[in-house]
Order: sequence, then C-alpha cells, then structure tokens
Amino acid sequence: MKFGKRLKQQMQQTLPGWRDKFLSYKELKQLVRQISSSPTQSNGSLEYGKAEKEFVYLLNNEIEKFNAFFMEQEEDFVIRHKELQQRIQRVVDIWGQNGSQPSEANYKDVMAKIRKDIVDFHGEMVLLVNYSNVNYTGLAKILKKYDKRTGGLLRLPFIQKVLQQPFFTTDLISKLVKECESTIEAVFPAEDGKKTRQPKQAITVAEEGIFRNTVAALQTMQDIRRGSSTYGHFSLPPLNLPDSDLTQSIQLISPIPII
Amino acid sequence: MEARPTLSIQRSGAKQLSNMGMSGALSSSLPVLPAPLQETYPKLPDSQHVYMERELVKRPFNHASHLPSDSGVAGHMFSSSPGFSSDLHYSSLLPHEEHSKTSPFISRSSTIQAAFPLTNTSHSISVQSTNSSHYAEENSASWNTDSLPSFLDFPVNTFIESSQVESSGCNTVLPSEEFGKWADQLISDDVANWNELLGDTNVTDLESKMACQVSKPSPNFQAHESQVHQQLPVPSGEIRAIATPTSSANSAPAKPRMRWTPELHEAFVEAVNKLGGSEKATPKGVLKFMKVEGLTIYHVKSHLQKYRTARYRPDSSEGSSEKKLTPIEDMSTLDLKTGIEITEALRLQIEVQKRLHEQLEIQRNLQLRIEEQGRYLQMMFEKQCKPGMDKLKASASTTSQNPPVPSSDAVPDSPAKTELKASQLDHCHGKTGAESVNANTGLEETSWELDGKEKAPEQEAPQDFEPDESSSQPSKRPRTDE
Repeated sequence: MKFGKRLKQQMQQTLPGWRDKFLSYKELKQLVRQISSSPTQSNGSLEYGKAEKEFVYLLNNEIEKFNAFFMEQEEDFVIRHKELQQRIQRVVDIWGQNGSQPSEANYKDVMAKIRKDIVDFHGEMVLLVNYSNVNYTGLAKILKKYDKRTGGLLRLPFIQKVLQQPFFTTDLISKLVKECESTIEAVFPAEDGKKTRQPKQAITVAEEGIFRNTVAALQTMQDIRRGSSTYGHFSLPPLNLPDSDLTQSIQLISPIPII
Repeated sequence: MEARPTLSIQRSGAKQLSNMGMSGALSSSLPVLPAPLQETYPKLPDSQHVYMERELVKRPFNHASHLPSDSGVAGHMFSSSPGFSSDLHYSSLLPHEEHSKTSPFISRSSTIQAAFPLTNTSHSISVQSTNSSHYAEENSASWNTDSLPSFLDFPVNTFIESSQVESSGCNTVLPSEEFGKWADQLISDDVANWNELLGDTNVTDLESKMACQVSKPSPNFQAHESQVHQQLPVPSGEIRAIATPTSSANSAPAKPRMRWTPELHEAFVEAVNKLGGSEKATPKGVLKFMKVEGLTIYHVKSHLQKYRTARYRPDSSEGSSEKKLTPIEDMSTLDLKTGIEITEALRLQIEVQKRLHEQLEIQRNLQLRIEEQGRYLQMMFEKQCKPGMDKLKASASTTSQNPPVPSSDAVPDSPAKTELKASQLDHCHGKTGAESVNANTGLEETSWELDGKEKAPEQEAPQDFEPDESSSQPSKRPRTDE
C-alpha cells in the first residue's frame, strides 16, 4: 500500500506528459487480490493457469508501454544532447571561453539561458532514469505479491526478463547525464570561494518544473526505502543519502491545482 | 508460441482464435491486442516441467464479473479481460487418447504438445494458419503441424534449467509438498496410467501446465537477448528491434522501435548535412545514405521530424513539458545580483539532480545484484539436485557461509548437468522444500552483508558475481543451439 501511494505521488508530481506512462500498480494489485481470493475448486489449477496467463499478459503490456515511452524519450534526449553541445560550441566560438567584450550583457543572457537549459535537460534525463527505476521497483513488488498470494513462481524468471528490457537498461541515459554534468562544469562560472550553497534556511520550491520533480523523486525514493514491513532477501536497504540536509532543507509546496 | 496450444484447446472451436488466444473474442473490438501479445508470447517459451508445480496450486481465476471495469490508467488492460475470461472455456476435446505414444517421463511433454496440433486441426481454426506465417521465431518452429517435430526437439532440453530453477525456487514451501505427492504418483505410474492420469485431470491440468509454460520467460530468450545486446555495440549503427529480437519478424515493419544511440544519430546528422540540411533532406535519401542494416524509412522519418523540431524550435522541444516554469526568461531586465542568485539556484538544482542520479544508479546496481544472487542460488539448487541428497545438505550449509566462492566451480558444471534428467528432477523437487529454506536464509544473510556495506562493495561484489554472470551466459548459449 505504501508503495502504491508513493507511486501515485510520484505520478502526480511528475511531468504532465508522463503521468499515464507509469505502472498501473493499483490495478495489478487488485488483480492479484482477485486471483488469490477466488474460491478454490477441483479444477482450480486450470483457473489458476488462466489467471496467471492473463496476469503475465498485462505485465507484458505494461513493459511494452515502458519500453515505448522510454525509447521515445531516449531518442529525444540523444538529439537534444547533440544540439546542446553544438549550441554551446557556437557560443564559445563567437565569444571565446570566457565572456568577453562584444555586448557583455547579451553574453550573460545567452549563457544564463544555456545554463538553465542544460540543467533542465540534465534533470529531465535523471527523471527518466527515475521513471525506469520506479517502474522496475513496482514490477518487482507486484511480482513478489503475486508469488506470495498465489504460491506461484513467476517472479524470478520474469524479473530476469525485465532486467533485459530497454526501459531498464539505462546505461546510455546515464552516460548522457554524465556528459551533461561535465558540460555543466565547463559552462558554469568557476566556484567562487567557499561553497555558500549550503542552505541555511529552508528553500521552498513552489513552482512546477524539473527541479521540483527531481526533489520529489528523491524524497519519494527515500520514503520508499525507509523501511519495509516485509523485509526479505530481495528488499532494498534504506536509502543512505550522504548530504541529507541538502534535501531535507528543501520543502515542496504543492502547486495550485490546475484542473 | 506455447500459449497457442493452450488457447486452442480452450476455444470450443466456435469462436475464432486469434493467434494470441487470450483476447481472441475481442479481436473485433481490440485489434491491436494480438500484435503485442504476438510479440510478447514469443518471449515466453515453454518450460515444460514447470507445470508440475502449477497444477498443484489451485487458485482459480474468477472471471469477468469481478474485474474492475475500468480505471483511468489501466483502462486498456482491463477492457480485454472480460473477453479473455469469458472465452476460456474448457472443452474436453483434448484427445488425450492421442498419448498412445510412448510416454516415459521425459517425452511426456512432447506427447502433450504433439496432441495439440491434432486438436487444432480437428477444430479447424483458420486464424492460426494465417497467423503462423507471421510467426517466424528464432527459438521455435512455426505453428504448422508439419514442423511439429522440430517444435518438440527444441524446447525439451533447453528449458529444463529454467523449470528446475523455478521448481526449486523461493516459494517452494507450499507447492513442494504437493509436488512431492504428485511426483510420487508420476513415478509410480506406468505408461498405461498416463492416459488416466491425464484423463482424470482432463484438459484442466494440461491447460494450467501449458499456461505455466507460457508464463515462464525463456532463458533461451534471455540468452538470445544478451547476444543481441552484446552484438549491439559492434556495428556502427546500433539497431535494436523492440524488446524482442523476433518481434520485427512478427509484426508489421513499422512497429519495431529503433533504439537510437549517439553514434547512430551522428551518422544520421552526417547524412542530413550531406543532403542539404534538415529541411531539404528526405527520409528516403537519408536512409539510403546511412546504409544501416535494419533501419527502416519509418524510423528515419520519425527521427527526422524530431530532429527538425529540436533544431528550429529548441524552446518548444525542451520546454514542452515545462510550460509553467518559473519566469527566469526575462533575462535582460535582471541585473547582476539576480544573475548570481539565479546561478546559485541552478547550482542547487544540479546538485539535487546529481544526487538523485547517483542514488538511482546505486539502487539499480543493488537490484541487479539481488536478482543475480537469486539466480545464482537457483542454479546452485539445480546443481545440487543432480548429485543427490547428501551433497545437497552439505552444499546448503556451504551456501549459507560463502556463496560467491564456489561460483566458478558451480557454473561450468551446470551446462553438463543441466541436460535433462527428468527422473532426478522430480526426485530432487520432492525434497527441495527443506533445502530451499536453508538456502534462503543463506541468501538473506549474504545479501544483507552486501547491502550493509553499500558504498564499499561495489568493488568486491561485482568480482564475485561477474564470473558467475559471464560464465552463466555462455553456459546458456550452447543449450540454445541444441
């Protein structure tokens, strides 16, 4: 139940176009409940076989959904990544590495825009990785539930299959993220003195946008892994964030609902 | 593909059976369903011996009446279910008398499968024959009854591992007891009793068996997948059909997705530039120029469209999902001080994002390792089952102490030992319950050791698991060739 709620939260807080691309966890859970609560009959095994088939069919549909969405996004990111690189290259060509003479203000504006775009791009990619992970976690959980409720042995082989799916193989995106990070290093002005970034007071992130989503994602991840009631050997340990004060100091204010 | 025999039996013959079967009755209303199922079912080959477990778990599925009518997100899923459920009637039409063929344990499943095409032809379900032509699958013969022998040959040996794996799996407590009884029954039955055994349980058991076979993903498929994966980096254009390697053969040409990589995109950009820019270039020209195998014009077309959008409306493509961003756009009016603030805010944002990404990577690695360990344990079980019970006890305690160590020994042995030894199979399964408990605790201890040292183990654990993983892959491949 906890995961379901968290998932819903994530879905609400995610980018609008992504909301319907997540795992239909609740529905699948209901299905599992149905399957397990149906009366057992003499020809029960047959019914069970059908039920399992349907369950698998639905899961496969979900996976297809993830794959399609993920690869679509990935393609977009590949294109945008290249475009960003080219754009920065053009700027650097015109103005040299450091902002120089011709229309200083203009340069600053352009750079500010570029920085914003890169950071948001980075954030979007990270959110896609998060998307992949959340859905994988959901699948693992629902499979675990299924096995537990029906005594089946679906989980292990099925999850092995999932591990190979495009939506879970996020290596390319991670690589792009890393490249983006190094570009960001280059594009941002050098750190001046001590890192004054440590927020002394709470920072409120009220507006929608990438930043909000990443913060939400991080917090959700923390919550999901806070401690499970059903610890097993397939459970993840609690999240261990190095600089927890960084994220804790960021509060999320729910946006004004737009309906 | 193994789904089909099941579903064909289910159909009383009155209804058209789509190749996918499940949503056959809804084929008029949901024409799209067969396609994805077509793609997915090839992924689910038969694990013939899994059904031994399945039929023991008696949990019938209650039909349409209880299914949720719709929910926003999953509406598409459940629209199919009522139809699916109501269509799955049982016909006792399975000619189990067809099992006049010799039925030692090993070939039992073969005979079952042999029966199906006969069933099909007697039902004369025409849809299947048309669909079979689409169904070119790397790991099994087509639907045609002619090719049945190859259909039989292929899966028998290759999926034993998975079936054994599953049967000695985590949740063996309940099924194993019943399985033991069933297995005893099986062993004690002679050939003549096979028909009765099957006849008593009728179509239902076979249904569930086939169903369970269907639901088990194929190690073969995985092996093939991994082959595909590993082949990917090599060619300059990394083409990847949608999830399964076979789907491109299955479905219409436009369907399979291309997985665009930076390299492929580079080639694309080069082609576009050579052809005069993104506006002037045509998909056909680009396709010809790129000369990448497996790339279709549909891929190029959609990619070109995306490319054009990204180039000429960068704000719209990037900001498409951020319509309500904070108003930082009015740069010109901001003075220096605010500029610094903005930069600082961006820094904070990037920090958080980096953090999230880092954690996601860690989490993913953990998840991978957990599954790896689970898989390893399954293999251990399977290996231990073969030699006999004594070794099993000894190994179980060894497992709980130090699982990764014997991996290099265990794995090379397994290919040899995973040749089907069906008699040992049920032998071992009957006793698996106790050992699985031992091993599970072992797994639990070790997995938490690993997870406890989240930061450090990145170095050590992969070493333990990589030999396991890398050798388990090649060990799977030879079997697929059989």
